[in-house]
Amino acid sequence: MTLTRRSLALTAALLAGGLGLPAVSAVAQELKIGLSSEPSSADPHFHNLTPNNAVARHVFEPLIFMDEFQRLGFGLAQSWKVLDDLTWEFKLKANVKFHDGSPFTADDVIFTMNRVPNVPQSPAPKTSYVRGKTFEKVDDLTIRVKTAKPEPLMLNHLAQIEIMSAKAAANVTTQDLNAGKGTVGTGPYQFVEFVPGDRYVVKANAEHWGGKPRWERVTFRFLKSDPTRVAALLSGDVDIIENVPTADAARLSKDARVTVSSALSNRIIYLHMDRHREDSPFIKAKDGSAIKNPLNDLRVRKALSMALNRQAIVERIMENEAVSTGQLLPDTYAGTSKKIKIPAYDVDGARKLLTEAGLLPAGFKLTIHGPNGRYTNDTKIIEAVAQMFTRIGIETTVETLPPAVFFTRASTGGPNRTPEFSMILAGWSAGTGEPSDTLKALLGTFNPQAGTGAANRGRFSNAKMDELLAKALATVNDQQRNALLAEATEVAMEDVGIIPIFFPKNTWAAKKGLKVTARTDEYTLAMSVAR
Amino acid sequence: MSDVVATPRAKGEFARFVDRFLEDRVAVFGLGLITLIVLLAVFAPLIAPQNPYDLAKVDIMDSRQPPGSKSMDGFTMWLGSDGVGRDLWSGILYGLRISLMVGLLSGLIAATIGLCIGLIAAYFGGRIENVIMRIVDLQLSLPSVLVALILVALLGKGVDKIIIALIVVQWAYYARTVRGSALVERRKEYVEAARSLGLSHTRTMLKHILPNCLAPVIVIATVQTAHAISLEATLSFLGVGLPQTEPSLGVLISNGFQYMLSGKYWISFFPGVALLLTIVGINLVGDRLRDVLNPRLEK
Repeated sequence: MTLTRRSLALTAALLAGGLGLPAVSAVAQELKIGLSSEPSSADPHFHNLTPNNAVARHVFEPLIFMDEFQRLGFGLAQSWKVLDDLTWEFKLKANVKFHDGSPFTADDVIFTMNRVPNVPQSPAPKTSYVRGKTFEKVDDLTIRVKTAKPEPLMLNHLAQIEIMSAKAAANVTTQDLNAGKGTVGTGPYQFVEFVPGDRYVVKANAEHWGGKPRWERVTFRFLKSDPTRVAALLSGDVDIIENVPTADAARLSKDARVTVSSALSNRIIYLHMDRHREDSPFIKAKDGSAIKNPLNDLRVRKALSMALNRQAIVERIMENEAVSTGQLLPDTYAGTSKKIKIPAYDVDGARKLLTEAGLLPAGFKLTIHGPNGRYTNDTKIIEAVAQMFTRIGIETTVETLPPAVFFTRASTGGPNRTPEFSMILAGWSAGTGEPSDTLKALLGTFNPQAGTGAANRGRFSNAKMDELLAKALATVNDQQRNALLAEATEVAMEDVGIIPIFFPKNTWAAKKGLKVTARTDEYTLAMSVAR
Repeated sequence: MSDVVATPRAKGEFARFVDRFLEDRVAVFGLGLITLIVLLAVFAPLIAPQNPYDLAKVDIMDSRQPPGSKSMDGFTMWLGSDGVGRDLWSGILYGLRISLMVGLLSGLIAATIGLCIGLIAAYFGGRIENVIMRIVDLQLSLPSVLVALILVALLGKGVDKIIIALIVVQWAYYARTVRGSALVERRKEYVEAARSLGLSHTRTMLKHILPNCLAPVIVIATVQTAHAISLEATLSFLGVGLPQTEPSLGVLISNGFQYMLSGKYWISFFPGVALLLTIVGINLVGDRLRDVLNPRLEK
């Protein structure tokens, strides 16, 4: 009894002492960031995935940088010259050192470009960024890139490739890099450790060519659950969180302890429609009998787009953390069209078009498939879309699947590895920061050899758009290319190749006193955080 | 002769059982609660102001409205609405239907399977019993949430799949209980008598042993039904259970979870209360049944 009482008193004293300590992280120059998704590797070329690329940017640097609006700038390259349509010359920055003290030279660039297509077991390699390019060393600080065809997106592609050290990374595997062996770059931060399921840690590189970075140490913690991430910020466990849940954004922006910043994402959330079958498996007449795939009729596709109340989805489901759209990228980007308007919400107009197409008053049944948990509020968005389609006489059901299952089935689940579903909701992020990427992947005619239509899960095909896109991709002049891309977008949208819905906002929340520069590419970078 | 053996209790016994059950006020309250909940679930289409599964009736403009707001269709949403504009009161009524159906149906099938297997084990003994009971042991040594989670992940979403998973998780409890009491009954004289009359194994088991093993099974059944309902809610909460568009209570709770920090408590809270009341009600009744049906617990 006495013993118990004494130990209780002791515990109380310890607790009081512990609580009396000052908050350590406020004093040290340490930054703790809560990420919503986890990188799959510390190898920058292993998996072309947003969280991987974002953490890699601290340790490694590409030749070309993209700023927060994905505008191009100089990275490890000091200047570039276009010698002719097929040859580019890059001067490299002098006096840049890797974390192990060795100097950065053209050899490292050549090593990196050879490594990119040869990473074993890569689930999504960055090979397409180096395909068709031959890299040559001219001298220690000059390289020349020769291409088979004119490559207007040269700089956008090089901005995706992180330069590794030829010396430190020779013969290292992805596993070695995860463990810190050869994880040596030129970046503002040095790799400390990567603990899958828990954290990724970097520390300041005092010798960085851009000057000593702001933070001594940066810890990225993986907090996948939305409420957990918000709670971690409010309790002070982390200083910054990415991907603020839409349900909490409004409340957090009113909270005096927190600063919220957001930028429009380059990701489009859209519906893809089955265009390659005469009888689509998830479209039936109301009595369950088979009908001709109505999605091949332009009037029906237009009607579906008109039936969507995009503004209601943005306001009620996304809680204004999104902006509705009628095209592929926000019109602040080059190469987008100024002519395309957001399709007006018009139930009567939509019904009229369906009647003209002979589908009303009978109506039909449709199942929309989508991922649950890949995009913010994805299931709810599909439910809202289903509500709106039901109002114009299409009896719509919703089926959501775990993302990995969904994407496999949506791409190759049908007979002969064709897309399985009749209509899907998905998202596409334009990594290159211009619309050709999106046009090529989502709307280009499906052709694995040519690399077009890689994510064309509806098998939309429009010869005129293909032609305009091909022409744009062979045009090095920026202005001419952008005009062609805008025209290609207009053709695809007029033919309703996909139904665009909205661009989500990327939102960060930080402890009062910290300022996060919001980025369109969803990267959460310590370099974007200022006091 | 066999009739007397099959129903050893006299006619007045059922009335006595009812009297004894009603002695406990808490149990009566539980029974009343369950009766009310079952009635609400059965008559949900008549009571609910909205069919929450009909997407033409659900409007996202109604989403996240606090309790007592008016909907676009003009009715009052007394418990508020969820993230896609579903009236929560209607959602709960329909959700109860699914939860109760899943609980009862899976319980019934699992009980039938468990009873047969348990009886066979006890009746035949020897190697058959050994094999069966080791399987039961194996099954019971695994956490039921885990087993159900794996099964649903393999089978996919849907009411039928959830029911299958819950049957797999539950049958072993019944089998073990039945085997326990059947072991005792098997050695009694009336079984000897039935056998010496030349009755078949099946008839002896079903007509003579089984009726005398039912008391503990009824108790287990109530507990298991409550367990099945909460397990279904758990699975749905984890996102592997029922589809989002036809929400059970678990789905409703999980839908509201993301709004908890932003002060929109009602989306999770009311379905949670409904689930709690259902399970408490069943458990109260189950407790009393155990007291009444088990003479050894009599004070």
